[in-house]
Amino acid sequence: MPERWTKLTAAMDKLYEFDREAVTPDKFQSGGKFAGLFAGEHVAATEFVIGAFFVLHGIGARDLLLGLLIGNLLAVLSWTFVCAPIAVRTRLTLYWYLRKIAGPGVTLIYNIANAFLYCVLAGAMISVSATAVGLLFGIPVPKLGAILPSSLGWVLISVALGAAFTTMAILGFAKLSRFAEVASPWIFFVFIAGAVAALPRLGVDPSLDNFWQVATTKIWNGVAAAGQEKLGFWHVLFFAWFCNLAMHIGLSDMALFRYARKWTYGLFTAFGVYPGHMLAWIASGIMVAAVGREMHPGLMAYQAAGLAGIAGVLLAGWTTANPTLYRAGLALQTITPNWPRWKITLIAGTATTILACFPVFFLKLLDYVAIYGLVLMPIGAIVFAEHWVFPILGIEQYQAEKRGWAFNWTALVVWLGTLGVAFALPLHLYFRWLPGWFIALLAYTGLMAARRAK
Amino acid sequence: MKNRILRMITGGLALLSLGVCLAAPILYFLGRISEDSYKTAFLIASIAWFVFAIARGFVRKPPAEREPMP
Repeated sequence: MPERWTKLTAAMDKLYEFDREAVTPDKFQSGGKFAGLFAGEHVAATEFVIGAFFVLHGIGARDLLLGLLIGNLLAVLSWTFVCAPIAVRTRLTLYWYLRKIAGPGVTLIYNIANAFLYCVLAGAMISVSATAVGLLFGIPVPKLGAILPSSLGWVLISVALGAAFTTMAILGFAKLSRFAEVASPWIFFVFIAGAVAALPRLGVDPSLDNFWQVATTKIWNGVAAAGQEKLGFWHVLFFAWFCNLAMHIGLSDMALFRYARKWTYGLFTAFGVYPGHMLAWIASGIMVAAVGREMHPGLMAYQAAGLAGIAGVLLAGWTTANPTLYRAGLALQTITPNWPRWKITLIAGTATTILACFPVFFLKLLDYVAIYGLVLMPIGAIVFAEHWVFPILGIEQYQAEKRGWAFNWTALVVWLGTLGVAFALPLHLYFRWLPGWFIALLAYTGLMAARRAK
Repeated sequence: MKNRILRMITGGLALLSLGVCLAAPILYFLGRISEDSYKTAFLIASIAWFVFAIARGFVRKPPAEREPMP
């Protein structure tokens, strides 16, 4: 292995040293703890945007409800039958398990890709918060379809928020994480309160007699906003399923489930996705309809819940951007091992802040979420093949670890090749990951089997 | 003991604050209170939640560090 790579991977290992060993039984967590942990998850600033976009994309009420019910169920089953069993059998994080399978070089590339994707995600969170702060200063939100910053005011707000979020992430990530734990249930209540309070503006009677009629004619009426693509049931179903693709099919939640007593704890993710990826999305859909279908999370929350609503949008962005910046910094630190933590967080924060100035990332959030999952998905398929398929076919497992490979080139080629094929598939972006997963699984298994034959 | 009682009180008040956060918009929807009253009640209850929840220490320790989610 070249010296440079050896140094990089050694530095990377040191960063993740604390979770190198498999979790021992005395550290296993109860089902109740998992239920509690998931209950506060999946309520982020992006929920204000995703649910609202479903309305703007002209999704019908019935399609939305059915799509979210089934899509979230598929997500829960993916955690339960794909991610949790591997985590419980190995008791390792994806980082260390991937290192055994693909080698430290591929793991490093995976980390860097993850860092970049985190920065874009954190940038979108900052943009959402900027809509709330901008409202206080009368700064208009960029129009749908905007790519570049629409005004100097938008840039200034984004830079100010990005600087504030980055400074706070540098000064006290751990304390902020604890604060986020307190904020999380309240943010969910902002969604619920906002939706309930928006109903009279839409003409819903206190008896709720006309709720379905209002829902199908004024909220999810099946008419897409100008310039927005019309989406339907299958799009909603797939979106709800792949929204956390990197975590379940992509296996990054092995970090969590390695502490589970049983793989069935994957079912507890339902406590997170149904409130966050169903109720919160429905709530933000109601709120955007109440402000005349204007994609403006700050205005939506302000109209629905007053100043507390603005605080909700701001906090939702901040509390989710904070750990995102931290993780991006952690991933980036692998390539700059001698840099102090504050410096690398500053770099990640600066990159994120620049990205936040470009409204395209939050105005195209649905597509970005699809790409985010798609990019990391092949790694999940490779690990799945190595863990489950290789023993059945008699292919030797963990060759990278046993032979000291820095790169398992087969894994890298399959990863990149799958992405190439997936992006070329004549399918809607939302549907590409599923055939992509099978392509990666079959290609990796086939190539490694061929290698054995040689 | 004293500390335990204090934790129980602050915990109860925190949960009560969340209850008000939920009750206020419902009362507004039912036409029992005005929009301004609802928004004021929601704001005050929100502040109360943060004060009491932090005082009570409603912080879970996750079993592992994990990536943030969209």
